Amino acid sequence: MSTLIDKNTAAPSQDSGPSEGRRGPRIILRGSSTHRAIIAAGLAVAAIVVFWGGTLQPFEQGQLTRAAIFAIAILGLNFTTGYVGLLSVGHSAFLGLGAYTTGVLVVNYNQTALSTIPVAMAICFVVGLLVGIPALRIRGLYLAIVTLALGVAFPEIVARLGGLTGGAEGLTIRRTLLRPPEWSGFTLGEKDQWLYWLTIVCLVLAFVVLRNIIKGRYGMAMNAVRQNEIAAAASGVNIAAVKLFSFAVSGAITGLAGSLFAMYIGSLFAEGSFTVLAGITLLIGLVVGGERTMAGPIIGGLVVVFLPYYTSDIGGGQASAVLFAIVLIAVVFVAPDGIAGGIRRLVRRFVRVEAQRPAGAGQVLPSAPDAAPVARRGSED
Amino acid sequence: MDIFLTRLFAGMTAGSIYAMIALTLVIVFRSSATINFAQGEFALFTTYISWWLSERGWNIWVTLIPAVIIGFVLCAAAERFLVRPVRRRDEAAVLIVGLALFTGLNGLSGTIWGSDDKVYPRLVPVSIDSFLDIAGARLFYDSLFVMGALVVIVGGLSLLMSRTNLGLQMRAVATNQESAGLCGIKVGRVFMISWGLAGAIGAVAAAILVPILPPGQLGLPGMFHMLIFGTVAAILGGLDSIKGAVVGGLSLGVGLAMINGYGSALGGSISLTVALVVVVAVLGLRPSGLFGSKRLERV
Repeated sequence: MSTLIDKNTAAPSQDSGPSEGRRGPRIILRGSSTHRAIIAAGLAVAAIVVFWGGTLQPFEQGQLTRAAIFAIAILGLNFTTGYVGLLSVGHSAFLGLGAYTTGVLVVNYNQTALSTIPVAMAICFVVGLLVGIPALRIRGLYLAIVTLALGVAFPEIVARLGGLTGGAEGLTIRRTLLRPPEWSGFTLGEKDQWLYWLTIVCLVLAFVVLRNIIKGRYGMAMNAVRQNEIAAAASGVNIAAVKLFSFAVSGAITGLAGSLFAMYIGSLFAEGSFTVLAGITLLIGLVVGGERTMAGPIIGGLVVVFLPYYTSDIGGGQASAVLFAIVLIAVVFVAPDGIAGGIRRLVRRFVRVEAQRPAGAGQVLPSAPDAAPVARRGSED
Repeated sequence: MDIFLTRLFAGMTAGSIYAMIALTLVIVFRSSATINFAQGEFALFTTYISWWLSERGWNIWVTLIPAVIIGFVLCAAAERFLVRPVRRRDEAAVLIVGLALFTGLNGLSGTIWGSDDKVYPRLVPVSIDSFLDIAGARLFYDSLFVMGALVVIVGGLSLLMSRTNLGLQMRAVATNQESAGLCGIKVGRVFMISWGLAGAIGAVAAAILVPILPPGQLGLPGMFHMLIFGTVAAILGGLDSIKGAVVGGLSLGVGLAMINGYGSALGGSISLTVALVVVVAVLGLRPSGLFGSKRLERV
């Protein structure tokens, strides 16, 4: 270590001289051509990965579809647990509610699978609003028990409504009922292909919509509520509205994932797929991927699908759970803010993206980059 | 009347067990301000050890000694080496460590002892006529034993808290960690001992509950339900209150027994849902549980 410093201190201080000051991370201005090129390259890589996924064998593609579905569900969870800080261990209920809405509508009411997605999202939105009501008064771990109640109640209620949901025997959606629509050009045999692309489209849409909310005025309000409710209220944030809305949107997005999950899995068992353990899986995915990051849920979705798959490959049966636990703890120790957070920290050591200083503006407050778009939006209202 | 009493006794028995688990969660919460999701799995692991020793011909009561010691050491070690390094950084990280331990310990028990159910011997042998007749209702001796165990544990705990130096330190840390540290209390050591204590009580509670509560056998998935019941009880009572854990556990047990018994219109199949709705309603009125202390916030 000391030799390294000795070697380096002499050279750069002479090279860059006083004009550069210290050697920090390279700064890229937001909106500059370099910044745009990096974004374009990132999008291109994402597109290549997605198209590569489209050419995979059915099994691998199925796993990828599953990961994308979980990514959507975790995106929803991130919205309320990550940004607003309302801990939820019962998001499995939204996943299940979305799945059963699709399942029941397709099997009992002859709807096409695609048309059930908005219905599932709407129902989950309303349930999310209702669940959000206790959150107005109950906080922290006490709130977790409310969501735990939701997660525990869901399988019991499904079993209770056996006439509609098939109860304990489960609900099986026949494959022919999941026929891709005519206009898509996919045949019944290519159902898995169709579902893969449908899931990807839904993931991208959910990602873009949530990102825009989070980067905007509303996202600032969400962050404020998480950091300090009293201070947020004093600054004019309607805490009740933020909490209710975030729970509802979160529920709707996770419900979307549930709807896709029903199409993917075909047969629904509330006791198997939608217990509190599933809610805990989503939470693990969120924290390991990275709370309050946009890439986190996608990484989390990949982790919760592929990590158990590979660990069960190495150590068979029960040992895989031990291995899974060791990997989890290792991730927490190496990157406490999740994989996405860890990568972000690593990248920031070398490259930093900063907002352009508006020309002519005399004093720019540090908060200016975020405040500028908000001000613009505010004037539009 | 006798049916009511029978249900009351059944509820008290189950409630005593929920109260014991709630106690372990409360002890951990008072020091670390987190719910230890792995608490049930620690207890599962020690119960497997106790079962394994009893298979080797040990008396079941004697096997409790190593089980309690291992429970103490395991939990204390988990706090020292897994929880403490991350707790300064992030609350979510502690949660994930707990969940990882939950998965890992369950898998470890399964790897070592197999996933089939084991017959765990009863601490108090029961025969058909080993009960007290109270107004026509049967109060079995093992129910009495469970309630007695709760009384002993709570009594011991309150003595520890009120009469010993360690108890004073634990209360100080629960009230204010920084001030406690400034007074010369080794806060880290108190954390470790708190976790260990919870592990030890959990080991005893699991040994009592496994043969009594359905399915009556030692299996891998059993403890998760107990953890849920214990968490609900602890939160109902208030997460940082020992008294609350006992009241919460007993009222949850009795409440569930009554809903199951009388509320057939509500349906026995959703009794847990009904109980949870009641708990949520209680929390709506008292957001930090029945006996939990309110946290004041400085803006």
